[in-house]
Parts: sequence; C-alpha cells; structure tokens
Amino acid sequence: METNSLFQVYFNSVFKTKEEVFSFLSEIEGNDFYKKREIINLLKEREKVGSTLIAEHVVMPHVQSSLINKSQIVFIHLKKPIKDWDYHSKNVRLVIGILLKENENVQIKKSIASFIRALASEDFVSRLLNSREKEDFTKKILKPLEE
Amino acid sequence: MKIVGVAACTVGIAHTYIAQEKLETAGKKRGHEIQIETQGTIGVENELTQKQIDEADIVILAVDVKIAGRERFEGKRIIQVSTEIAVKSPNKLIEKAEQVVNAQK
Repeated sequence: METNSLFQVYFNSVFKTKEEVFSFLSEIEGNDFYKKREIINLLKEREKVGSTLIAEHVVMPHVQSSLINKSQIVFIHLKKPIKDWDYHSKNVRLVIGILLKENENVQIKKSIASFIRALASEDFVSRLLNSREKEDFTKKILKPLEE
Repeated sequence: MKIVGVAACTVGIAHTYIAQEKLETAGKKRGHEIQIETQGTIGVENELTQKQIDEADIVILAVDVKIAGRERFEGKRIIQVSTEIAVKSPNKLIEKAEQVVNAQK
C-alpha cells in the first residue's frame, strides 16, 4: 500500500530468506524479467561490499539503477524474523529497501537522505520495531519528515 | 577535542548519511566539536572548511570509496574505517579517536 509518494509499507509480511525479500523488491515496479534480474544482481553486489545492517534487527538493502522508474523507500515489517540474513545480521525484523532512480532529482534525494539520517536514532528505530499496528508504524515513519 | 571527517559509501544514499549522523551524535555526546562531510548521491554536503580541518585534532574517514579532496587532510592524524564500522560502533570509534589524540599529546 502506498503511504505517500516516496514510501510503501508492508506490515506483518512473511518472508523466510533474504533472497525472497530481494525477489519481492525487484518486482515492486512490475514483472519484467530483465529488470528483476538486474535489481537482484545489484542488491547482491551491494551486500558483497559490506553488511547493510543499520541497527540491531534492521537491514537496509539499497540499489540505484537506470531501470528504476520511481525512487521509493520500501518498508517490510516482518511477521517472523529472518534468522540468517547474513553472517552479521541475525533475526532481522525490519527491512528498509531503497530503490533509487538513476539521476533522480536533488529534492527527492534530499528527502530520502533526511529520512535516512533519522534512522541513525536508536530511539526512532526502536519505536519502529516495537510498532504493533500498521497505522501506528506508518505514522512513526512519517514523523521525521514532518519535523 | 575537535573532530572532522568524511562519510562516503558505494551507492551514496544509505550508509553515508547514517554514518554521518551517528558519528556526529556520538562525538557531541562525549563533548567534542564534530563535523562530518558527506560525499553521497546528492554531492558534497556539510562541507568542511580548510580552517576546520587545520584546527581539528583528528580526522575520521568513514569511507568505502575514493573520496574527493583527500589531500585536504595531508599531515593530519587520520582514522580510516568502512562506513559499516561507523554505523555499527560509532561510540567505539570516537573513543578510539580520543585514545589516538591523547596518546600523542
């Protein structure tokens, strides 16, 4: 479900592995085989550079590509944790996927960066992790953007 | 203590900004003056002046890629780590910076 132009929230989602999450992220903009394959490859390439863990139980896979038509931050709140995301990241409960369009305009990039800075706060991340309802979760996400 | 630094990651949208925010928060919490320049997808933000660099006791580079203007830090004490380390252990990194500076006083 779309919450505003930049965000999508999937609450209580069921994914068992990182690969399932990557596949889902690659299909956000449709089912084009070539595009899906490219996005998955780029997500995997980024993971090879280093862990995308940003806080305990939270990972942020991200990708920039000319194949992406619309930049988005995709929140996947997991019903059950993914036990083994990678060597460093265990029991992942929240995935924040970033799909960034190549040559995106600066204002949109600034909005994304500003939200990402908010994720540096342990309190904020903890509030997101402890949300029990989708509505509450969505409100919390939007709060830093309103401030 | 005065700390300056740069954060830059590969895609330039995620870890760059989290590393900056976490390092600045951790530094201020321990009473330091700190500014971290970001070199990300938006370009250079929070840009350091040469005066700030000259006056800094130490430089922290949280970088996964080659950064622009590295020569500005020539002759300074530098701690270089990946953005992953800055995101994961910002407090430890600031403590390490304190140790390095104190050891050379």
